[in-house]
Parts: sequence; C-alpha cells; structure tokens
Amino acid sequence: MSETRHDSSAACYRFELELQAYMEGENKPFVLAHIRECAFCRVVVEDLEALRAAVRELPLEEPSAAVWSNIRAQLATAGAFAEKAGFWSWFSQLDFLRRPIPVAAFACMVALGCLLTAPRNYPEQDSTSALTATARRTAVRSMGFMGDNEALERVVRELEATFRAREGSLAPDVKTTYENSLLSLDTSIRECSDSLQREPGNSLAHEYLLAAYSQKAEVLSSALEFDEGR
Amino acid sequence: MKAVRPAQGDSTVADRLEQETKKRSVIPYGQGIILYLLVLSGTLVAAEGNRTEKTFEAAPNPRITVTNARGQILIRGWDKPQVHIIYTVMSPYVDIDTEAIPSGGSPDKIHFATHFLDPRVSENDRTVDYSLDVPTGTDLEIRNTQGSVRIEKVQGDDASVESVGGAILVTDFTGHLFLRSIGGNIDVIRPSGRVEAYSITGDLHFVSPTTSKLRGTTTSGRIVFEGDFRDGGDYSLSDYSGDMDILCPPSASFELNAKTDRGKLENEMPMTIRHQQATPLSSANSLFGTHLTGKATVSLRSFSGTIRIRDR
Repeated sequence: MSETRHDSSAACYRFELELQAYMEGENKPFVLAHIRECAFCRVVVEDLEALRAAVRELPLEEPSAAVWSNIRAQLATAGAFAEKAGFWSWFSQLDFLRRPIPVAAFACMVALGCLLTAPRNYPEQDSTSALTATARRTAVRSMGFMGDNEALERVVRELEATFRAREGSLAPDVKTTYENSLLSLDTSIRECSDSLQREPGNSLAHEYLLAAYSQKAEVLSSALEFDEGR
Repeated sequence: MKAVRPAQGDSTVADRLEQETKKRSVIPYGQGIILYLLVLSGTLVAAEGNRTEKTFEAAPNPRITVTNARGQILIRGWDKPQVHIIYTVMSPYVDIDTEAIPSGGSPDKIHFATHFLDPRVSENDRTVDYSLDVPTGTDLEIRNTQGSVRIEKVQGDDASVESVGGAILVTDFTGHLFLRSIGGNIDVIRPSGRVEAYSITGDLHFVSPTTSKLRGTTTSGRIVFEGDFRDGGDYSLSDYSGDMDILCPPSASFELNAKTDRGKLENEMPMTIRHQQATPLSSANSLFGTHLTGKATVSLRSFSGTIRIRDR
C-alpha cells in the first residue's frame, strides 16, 4: 500500500488539500475521483464519514455556565492555566467546543486522520528528515490543529537541523527567500513567547505562536521538498 | 589634365609596404566585426531562448498542471476547446515533459513539467517561460518555484498555485483558488469562488471580490482588501506584523471581529458596537461590531500590525 501511496503522492497531496472542503460539503469532483482510484485515501474518507455519522447521533448537551466556571476554577487552582491558558483560551473562542462529546469525537477523527495519513505512508523511513514533504506537511498540520506545541517544536527543530545541513545546495535567491521567511517566523516565535511569558493568558499570542511554529515547519518542509526535487 | 596612374613597377618599395600594411590591418578589422556580429547574434539567440509552440485538442473542462522552476507562467482562458502552449527554454540541457491523458482524442488532463537533462545546469539556464491559452473551464495546478504566475479569465472549478519566491496574480477566476507563495506577493482581482491565499513575507491584495468565502494569511506582508462583502460571506484575514487595510463601500453590510495585540485599530466606518464575549485578560485592541445589518462576517487578526477599516 505504501508503494501505491508513494507513487500517487501528488494526487494524494491534492486530496489532502481538498479533503477539508469536501468534508464540509463542498462539491469536490477531484476527491470523489481520487478515492475511486486510491484505496488508502478512500479508507480515510470512509473512516471520517463513519465518525461524522457517529458524531451526529450523539446527544448534544449544553452544560450550564456554572459547570464551565467550576471547571475553569478547578483548572486555575491546579495551575493548568500557567502553561496552557493561551491554548485553552484560543480554543475557548470556538463555539463548537462547548459541546464536549462531539468535540472529543472530532478530536479522535483528526487523530485518526493524522494516524492514517502521516506515518504509515513511509514505513521504510524513520527520521523526520527522511519523511516525504507530503507526510511532513500532514503531520505538521495535524499537530498545529491539535495545539500540540511541544511536538511542533520538536518537529521544527529536527526539520531546521536537516535544512541547515542541506541549505548549501539551494540556489542563492531561493535560499534568501527561505532565510527571510524563517527570520520573519523566528521573530514571531520570539515575540509571542515573550508576550506569553509576561501575559500567559494572551490568547492571541498563543494563537500566533502556534501558527508561527506550524508555518515554520511548512516552510522548512517546502525547502526540503525543493531540495529533494532537484 | 589627365591623372596618370603609376605602373606597378613605378611604385616605390615604401609605397608597397604602406599598401600591404593597410591591407593587413583591414582584414583583421573585418574578421573582428564578423566575429563580433556572430557572437552578438548568438548571445541574442541564447537570451531569447528556444521557443516551442504546441496545440492540443482538449476536453471542455480539462485539468492542466504546470511544474516549473524558474521563469514566468502566463495562463489565459479562451473560448476554444484547445490548449495552446508556447514555452521558451534557455538551455539545451532543459527539456519540457508533456503528457496528455488520455493520449488520443481530446485529453482531460495535460501535464507540462520542466525537466533538467543535466543537474549541473546553471540557475539562469533553468529558466523556462510558459504562455498558455486554455479553455475557460480549465482546472489548474501550477507550481513555479522561483518565478511569477499570472492567470487571467479562467472559469474552472479550482486552481492551486504554489511558489517559493514568485509573485502570483489571478484575475477573474470563478472557482476555488488556493494560492501560496512563501516570499512573493499575491494579487487576486475579481475572484468569485472561494479564495485561500497564504504567504510569509509577501503582500496579499484582494480587489473587488465577489466571493463568499475568503481567507488570507501572511506573516510580515501587508494585506489590502478593496471591495464589498457579499451577503452571508465569510472573510478571514490575518497577519502578524504587517498592516492591514480594508477599504469597503458605505453600503457594505458586515459583522466585524477585529483584534490586534500590539498594533493600532483604526476604524472609520460607523459601527454598532457589540459587547465582546468573555475573553481572557489581554492587552489587545479589539472591535466587535456591526455595520448596517451585518450580513457578512469579517474576522481581522494582527499581532503587531495596524488594522485600518475605511470607507472607499
């Protein structure tokens, strides 16, 4: 299966790009056509649709404001906001998170999607640098979506080390473009981290920090993909 | 009085030497000019490159992919069921792979990819310029690493364009647009389908969109949105340190959620300010309000850039 997946990586990559819109109900003929041809992606769609169907059947219960206040108070007492306040606050702005059961199911769905689309595709490759760009991007997006800061940081560090080892082979102007982008993102990461040090509850800073890590991973993946394609 | 031409034998040794010297100096001079002209014409030919032109009969809504490293890509929609391509390569070590699927009849898919016969070919020699005329209903998938991409008047279902440092300009596209350039500017003029534009250091410029779903993100670039918001539309713009300018007509009806952490928020539109939902304590400047009846939803985010909302 990995062979098939690897051979059709361009189509699978496009499938991944359009999957979200397709799952949101948009007309995506390519996705429909692709899942007829690619067994791997078809399984992804089938699993996501099964999970979505299961989520629809779950009862929606709206906890009272008092419940949320109590949970928040308990988390604050436990010191949870010292590290995770920004992340939690960012997500707390999203209305759908008020429904915990569908959210948990959706998180499982994303985790499953991540599991299905990222690591198993390339079992023969074990390091971050050896992953193909599509797999790296999928993994990074999933981690970014799930707010897994530490995992993102680790991936970014590994990608950057690989990039530094290979950057000499890039054309000077291409290298400059990547360097400028990384500089811009490093500035974002540094400033957002400083903001969060001073103001741990700053949801915007946390949102941008997460985005900057995610974007940096994507830029580095793009650079490595470019290098691989030469 | 007749002029008397001296006979050969009458000329002195000095005269003959002078004539010989003139003759010798003229020949290399002529050779030099010819050589110079040859070199010049060769240089001009090399600079112009090797131009190839092809025409394919195509299905009414084909899918075209172009993968290139350097150079310009121009794609225009036309009303013929044909794909007409002109490409110019700068080096004999660069080739263009063309694949039409199915190979016979009118293909649904046509792939064009720049291919290097020698990996040692210099960066400048990697340049290939493409110009394509495609049926208006064409879907596009373009990757141009270090070159610009321009798409005009194509009405396909979707187009994705990716670049590292190249600028992207899309005019009058009707389908879903996915545009990403790490360092290049992205300009989208009169799109009417869903738009997603991402950059890190490039600027984003949206002009007169009639789309109902638009998302634009850049880190240090500037964002300019000029136009109206469609009823029921969803517009989300985000940058980190670049400024953001929203210029919309007084008749625009939208609900605004704007927030910047360290930048300024300047609004010139008369808004009905709504009470912001409970958010964690933060030093952010935010504005949550409605202009007219709030038919569209507009979300603007910046960390240290200034957000300006103005009447145009």
